[in-house]
Amino acid sequence: MSLLQREREIILRNEYVDRFDFEEVESFIRGASKNLFISHKFKTSDKMLVQPRGGFPTYEKVFGLYREFKEAGVDVLPLTIDSNTRLNDYATAKKMLSLSEENDVDMLNGYPLINHGYRTTRKMMTHYDTPVSLRHGTPDARLLIETALASGIFEIEGGPITYLLPYSKNFPMDKAFLYWKYVERVCAKYSELNEPINRESFGPLSATLQPPAIVLVIQILEMLLSLEEGVKSFSVSFSQSGSMTQDIVSSNVIKKLARKYADRFGHTDATINLVYHQWMGAFPYNKEYSDSLINTSTVIAAMVGANKIITKTRNEAFGIPTKEANAMAVANVQYTLGMLRGLPKVSDEEEEENLSNEVDEILEAVFNEGSDTLWRQVFNAIKKGYIDIPFSPHIINANEVITIRDPQSNIRILKKGKLPISDKSFAFEQSKIKLGEGERVVDKIIQDIGIML
Amino acid sequence: MKVVTGVVGNDIHVVANRLIDISLEERGFEVFNLGVNTYLEEFMDAVIETDADVLLISSLNGEAEGWCRDLKILKSQYDFRDVTFMIGGNLGVGEMDPEALVPKFQGYGFDLVFHQIDLNEGLDQLEAYLEARK
Repeated sequence: MSLLQREREIILRNEYVDRFDFEEVESFIRGASKNLFISHKFKTSDKMLVQPRGGFPTYEKVFGLYREFKEAGVDVLPLTIDSNTRLNDYATAKKMLSLSEENDVDMLNGYPLINHGYRTTRKMMTHYDTPVSLRHGTPDARLLIETALASGIFEIEGGPITYLLPYSKNFPMDKAFLYWKYVERVCAKYSELNEPINRESFGPLSATLQPPAIVLVIQILEMLLSLEEGVKSFSVSFSQSGSMTQDIVSSNVIKKLARKYADRFGHTDATINLVYHQWMGAFPYNKEYSDSLINTSTVIAAMVGANKIITKTRNEAFGIPTKEANAMAVANVQYTLGMLRGLPKVSDEEEEENLSNEVDEILEAVFNEGSDTLWRQVFNAIKKGYIDIPFSPHIINANEVITIRDPQSNIRILKKGKLPISDKSFAFEQSKIKLGEGERVVDKIIQDIGIML
Repeated sequence: MKVVTGVVGNDIHVVANRLIDISLEERGFEVFNLGVNTYLEEFMDAVIETDADVLLISSLNGEAEGWCRDLKILKSQYDFRDVTFMIGGNLGVGEMDPEALVPKFQGYGFDLVFHQIDLNEGLDQLEAYLEARK
């Protein structure tokens, strides 16, 4: 028996798992409907796929949510997992699920997939026969991903960097890399049976003044770590930055560089998709303004040429949206997309050159780090501050990079910390920044974070 | 001047924490930032280890009260006479009388208490307080 299989049997021999039948799961995936695979949908559809966010504690409520989404014309369904399950606390999730079922009140902020189990969950997935994307935020997602795949959920979001640095203060990062290696291997293994399982990275990071260079570097590294284990379909992503120019520049550069680095590492057969997240920062309390923000964001997604868009709702500022508000957002985005076919190609050569240079410079420093494996190089690069995410709560993050917006709302690097970008690249960033006489950086940052309020 | 700062309790409001860090540095302080989700004991250890002049605790989700009640006991275990204790943020849980909050936290052993006060104003007052203490 392979080492991986032995590890899988240990992971799945869990008191919260009702006997995991490997053979049955394999034959289910081998014979599963193509419609469940987003990788198949990417291949066969020429429109941008629309996917909302959402998840409730009980089976019935998720079933109802999906019905609402389907009526609104959804392309990809979401399954958001509750925060106890994300922290591997299945006992609390179980208790809260019982309370939610008995009292008809939501005691969890998502679907406790482990407690429902794959036999139950699969019924819902095969009923709707639509691709489902797993949204979680789990550093140790081994059991969760086994259960998701066995349920017919064939897109897995996350990664060792993007699901750790924005979410946790002190979960050990080396462990996260190894746990995600397991996830990639299981996805790769199942990808051989039918259409490929799609992996997606989480580009929004901490969603607060993230410089495009760092977002792109992390997207490319998580992609390489995944393809290295045999994954064949991968989505890189980023979120609306607050500058239309910067979004289009990021898109043009990531499409070019993701392919370049995938090929350079020998993954010429891998498919790479692009996902665009509507604004992930603080939303206005005014619902009409929220509608306007969502519409503008849809237009930018079309300009960007994303393969999938992940939507927000007009209720964003007020908490978890109702299923009706969530479905309405899907219908509106589809409506707007209908007007946006055949757009002109826009580019800004100077900006694209600068961003490409920055990404190349940081990646070269990572690849020149002395370790013997890619994950160790990435791990050490983060420890050394070569990769530094503004507003990450994690203790390993250097927290030295400071970013602010220029007069056109582009996010610029004010302090570069230990980012290994060249003097030329840094000078370009600095040349765009305009700080008023006596203006405090911190006041500018507060203003720049709240740009959509 | 050395400042130890961080967010007390199970509170992951990282943006405010970073802004405090940046502001303190802009004002010339040497900052030791313990980040979010920090226990009171960890703050006290850091003050001793770094020989800090100021401990600035922030709190946004209303957890401060539960976590700061033991400050007096912890303060009595070591000589903290030269250290200024400051707390700021959103200190109450739900509907609370803001008038009552300041004396309550002063009673816990804080020299400076700022409930829903602008960051710059709070730090201006800290600087004035340190100047007067000299």
